[in-house]
Amino acid sequence: MANRAQIPTKSSALIAMIADENGKGYKNYEDTVVGFLLAGVGNVDIRRKTNYLIVDSKTTVKQIEDAFKEFTTREDIAIVLISQYVANMIRFLVDSYNKPVPAILEIPSKDHPYDPAHDSVLSRVKYLFSTESVASGRR
Amino acid sequence: MEERHLTVDQEPPQEAAEVVNRREVRLEPGAEEKLVLQFMDSLNSYLSFSHSLSSTLGQAWMELASARHSMGTARLNTSLLDLKFHPASTTLKITECDDDAKARFVLRKWVSPEEVGEDEDSNSTKSSVPADDDDEAVRRERAKSLSVFGILIPPKLRAAQQSFERALETLVEMANMQSSFLNSFHQLHQEVEDNKE
Repeated sequence: MANRAQIPTKSSALIAMIADENGKGYKNYEDTVVGFLLAGVGNVDIRRKTNYLIVDSKTTVKQIEDAFKEFTTREDIAIVLISQYVANMIRFLVDSYNKPVPAILEIPSKDHPYDPAHDSVLSRVKYLFSTESVASGRR
Repeated sequence: MEERHLTVDQEPPQEAAEVVNRREVRLEPGAEEKLVLQFMDSLNSYLSFSHSLSSTLGQAWMELASARHSMGTARLNTSLLDLKFHPASTTLKITECDDDAKARFVLRKWVSPEEVGEDEDSNSTKSSVPADDDDEAVRRERAKSLSVFGILIPPKLRAAQQSFERALETLVEMANMQSSFLNSFHQLHQEVEDNKE
């Protein structure tokens, strides 16, 4: 099959996170990041670079874009978790991503439930259900 | 060359091999249906897991909020996170399935730094390598993760940790299903494009 991407095998790869602050008002808690760090996924390298980004009110779209680009190009990251609320801010970038590794998983946040209609990966395969696209290929 | 002169009624035996050769370039009808089923199954599983994830995360957030209520906000926030050099205890192993070019992720929970280099059983079909709760090293790694937030850890924080671990397992299942349906999709898409030519 043409254009099959090479799968980089690795015995110990990381899970990266880009998650938004939860909660309203002045009491904002980063529960998603704190929770997954409790589960042991946090990694800080020798240059003090982390495998997560907490998106708060001061975080710019450029910073989110840079973090997404960095995590999706690092060879030691296998999965990138991104709150769907944050993914919506950089939707064009997430839509254009098409490598098998790292896998991008959009996750809900406390204030913003997951909506499959906005998921970039699901949107990419949705057209397979379109009768026009399927019928045109069948002669 | 000989193919152009053949009629429907006459197919010399050597033509069968050439027909087979032509078909090798495209999927046979049976393989196509199998791919469609694989696509639908993987997509259905992915959506089921995402519902399960939402439920697990909801419970985890509730437990974390309860822990924060008993510990106080100052003892449970991101300013306490360890920013010194340390490797992740929970990592992933990436392999490639032999039958088709799709990635497979295996979660490795609470691996101590000494065990990082050890090779896991590559024939395992499970998405998670279960952490033996009785293992001293696993208990040590779990406790180290909790100790960031102090010595006296309330039960709700331990429960939240377990819930987020379950969420991680679900996420790895989702990643594997995503890999599967994307792989099927690309093959079917290629078939549709080939049929258009």
